[in-house]
Amino acid sequence: MVKTLEDRINPSSTNDSVLSTQEYFVNMGPQHPSTHGVLRLVLKLDGETVREVIPVLGYIHRGMEKKAETIGYRQQIHLTDRLDYLCSVMNNWVSAEVVEKAAKIESNERIQTIRTIVAELQRIQSHLLWWGVFGMDLGAFTPFLYGFRDREKITKIFEDTIGARLTMNYIQPGGLMYDIHPDFVKDVKSFLTYIKPLFAEYDGLVTGNIIIQERLRNVGIMDAKTAIALGTTGPVLRASGVAHDLRKIKPYGVYSKVDFAIPIGTVGDCWDRYAVRMLEMRESVKIVEQLIDNVPEGKHLTMKAGAKIRPPAGVYYEEMETARGIFGVMINSDGTEKPSRVYYRTPNFHNIWSITKISPGGRIGDLVAIMSSLDIVVPDMDR
Amino acid sequence: MSTPSISQDIMTNLGNSPGISLALFLGGLIGAVAFMAIAGLILIYAERKICAHFQCRLGPMRVGWHGILQSVADTIKLLMKEDIVPYAADKFMHALAPIVALAAALMTLIAIPMSAKITLADSNIGVLYISAISGIGVLGILLGGWSSNNKWSMLGAMRAGAQIISYELSATLSILAIVMLSGSLKISTIIQSQEAGWWIWRAPVVGLVAFLSFLISSTAEVNRTPFDLAEGESELAAGFHTEYSGMRFAFFFLAEYLNLFIVSALGATLFLGGWMPFHLGEWTMFNQIMDLIPQSIWFLGKTSFMIFVSMWFRWTFPRLRVDQLMKLEWKVLLPIGFVNLLLCAFMTLFGFYFFSTTTRGF
Amino acid sequence: MKTIIAERPFEGNFFSKVIFGFKSLIKGMGITFGYLVHPSTVVTQQYPENRKTLKISDRARNQLVFNLDENNYHKCTACHICEQQCPNGSIHVLERKKPASAKVELDTFIWRLDSCTFCNVCVMVCPFQVLKMTQDFESSVFDQKLLIYNLTPYAGPTSTVLNKIVEPEERKKMIEPRGQYSGPTALAGFHIAGISKQVFQETEQRKDQK
Repeated sequence: MVKTLEDRINPSSTNDSVLSTQEYFVNMGPQHPSTHGVLRLVLKLDGETVREVIPVLGYIHRGMEKKAETIGYRQQIHLTDRLDYLCSVMNNWVSAEVVEKAAKIESNERIQTIRTIVAELQRIQSHLLWWGVFGMDLGAFTPFLYGFRDREKITKIFEDTIGARLTMNYIQPGGLMYDIHPDFVKDVKSFLTYIKPLFAEYDGLVTGNIIIQERLRNVGIMDAKTAIALGTTGPVLRASGVAHDLRKIKPYGVYSKVDFAIPIGTVGDCWDRYAVRMLEMRESVKIVEQLIDNVPEGKHLTMKAGAKIRPPAGVYYEEMETARGIFGVMINSDGTEKPSRVYYRTPNFHNIWSITKISPGGRIGDLVAIMSSLDIVVPDMDR
Repeated sequence: MSTPSISQDIMTNLGNSPGISLALFLGGLIGAVAFMAIAGLILIYAERKICAHFQCRLGPMRVGWHGILQSVADTIKLLMKEDIVPYAADKFMHALAPIVALAAALMTLIAIPMSAKITLADSNIGVLYISAISGIGVLGILLGGWSSNNKWSMLGAMRAGAQIISYELSATLSILAIVMLSGSLKISTIIQSQEAGWWIWRAPVVGLVAFLSFLISSTAEVNRTPFDLAEGESELAAGFHTEYSGMRFAFFFLAEYLNLFIVSALGATLFLGGWMPFHLGEWTMFNQIMDLIPQSIWFLGKTSFMIFVSMWFRWTFPRLRVDQLMKLEWKVLLPIGFVNLLLCAFMTLFGFYFFSTTTRGF
Repeated sequence: MKTIIAERPFEGNFFSKVIFGFKSLIKGMGITFGYLVHPSTVVTQQYPENRKTLKISDRARNQLVFNLDENNYHKCTACHICEQQCPNGSIHVLERKKPASAKVELDTFIWRLDSCTFCNVCVMVCPFQVLKMTQDFESSVFDQKLLIYNLTPYAGPTSTVLNKIVEPEERKKMIEPRGQYSGPTALAGFHIAGISKQVFQETEQRKDQK
């Protein structure tokens, strides 16, 4: 018997004792300071304890997959910018790489190296924003400003090289939109020297704080089996103890040539998800350090900028590890310039359902901490 | 009572009469209300500026020089806003809640002396009176949450109620330590007893522990981070005052900042000596140099220091979850408070504190 | 696969936790205090006052303009490639009904700022590098119609054709100045309302023939 949402929102008495309590439904509505976007959560509460969480999606559905069918392969890349807008270069990379694979467009070492560097910088930037918003959700308003101040340095580097600060549209089939700015290497190196001592400062302010530790310890525990069954990917999966990272398993770009480690957690609670992301930032810094000095020479675009892209008919799929999980693009091509079907496998859509399994039994304060540690970006869910 | 207050001076000069005393009483009240309003405005501006500088930014800069008139602009804006009352709200309670919150703040403020001469209401049970009246502030919060007819507001109000009545205990225990050391509930006597030195350092360990316990409990009393889950901006979208707009919200807002001022003033009075300058026992030369600075400046300086520490807490720490808050109070602060009180009793009985035998006898 | 195990938070008995908690809180307070007493750490820039010294990068994509040479001549041949490739139809290229030279000439180049996503595809695919993006970000208006730009200062042939003609008078005869476009336009890919259907169909036919 299928229950619709309206069927389930009916208050019911759950126990017959002398002091009867009633569970009630509260809407953590689309407009809420800490749902990170327009996400509606229908909570079934018993006092302060959460009994059930029902996410309602669709408030920012824009029909991106349908839109991609009416514009061509080159143009659908700038739509993926607006999916997970904090990892826009990584999203671009996946869309461009699947088109390259389909149309058999070549790439060279320089292009792949620069793509890797920019993607790792974007990962640091995304995690810095997550760190700031995480502190803000838990009540510490200051890390937000510190995170944005440091993130501004990377944004400035992107503005100088790419031209845009948020929606980049940088990685095109066949290479990059612009070659790197003459100051790129110098700016990135100065950023790396700037950010390394700040990690210790972040630890002093947030990670080592007793209040944060007590709020995150053993909250929202998700074991490895549940995580894999729900289809979560990214830091959420790695915090539950599963060592799964596409950069190591199916290396793309120049990841096979760099030496870095994958942080994994033990218990799978909010603290592990937090610690895994902080360690990932440090690993990304290591990757960029190894690559920035030896960027090979070459062209930045291996095909003509306006050339028509007509991949042969077939189904092609490519996936990569973004800051929030695995982002995959499937194109079903029928030989013309416009795809006949595009499907975006977004990480946040699969990560959000874990909240229905791990938050019941906790309190509202825990719910906010869990949502923040899952690091969801809502436009990614609704596409 | 050695120095007569301003009103007593005026009375003796003009001849005692009921008309003059009534006029003085009203004058004092108006002065207190004016002080309350101005202190609120200054505190709001100070909070925004200090918050900004903690966060590497500038704060209000546009209205007036470096944003000094920002509070005035905010007040005018709030006055001009439409007063929205939810359709199904309990109208009488909805209107009453902010008034109760502000009245509790005002009633507490008049009991704290600014200097030896500027005292409004110096009763024999001053400390007890303050503790009791600050409990009325809870009523304002509960009324506000209940009457808004909003589940989120109700949650916020319930949390705040539980939090405030729990932390009253710890605050009272730390106040009791000082009352025991100085031997009276009357605030002017407590201040006089600190003439040889402030209790925070004069009573070794006990004074400091009582001060820290008071600091934490009073931050919880006034619903400030790390204990602000009643307002919980990220969780409950403003908690118990979600449904208030315009001047009613301004009342809640003002009541919060006045409460901050009151607990800081109370902490400064009990632990840091109130308007008493920094004396060191019987070193008369040093004491006379310290006496040159006027007493109200001492009082305001100490209160400002306490307010600054409170703001520092707010902009550094995240907030506690409600069960952790309760655990902190009942399992950590209360036992420490009891042990502290016991040690304080021994100290008072045997005089184990600095400068215990002075000419004053305190 | 090289892995790092994330550390767990501090564990201990009651007293060690109290002491650890105390120390961690003092450390956090020290960090924020450091920022308070060093005003040089302030990163705010006061916007309208700092306009003269504001540095925005060269490649910033804030406004689309034509690349004009020293005589204000452009190179656009009205080939419609940018119009086709624009993902949401923010560019409309209108051809001249009576070209002064024998070839197709540009009449008006309409660019809608209110629907443009600044994806830069038009700049990349133009075969003659006619377009470029500049950093001018102060383009807010009170009337939405003012967001419809005409990027070409004149209707006429390209600069290669014009520069071959030596006489300035002859050049002036071939071009007609154009200002801010104030006619009807459609948003996001729909057909341009108001332009007569015949002209539109002729343009479409010519595009298909290429």
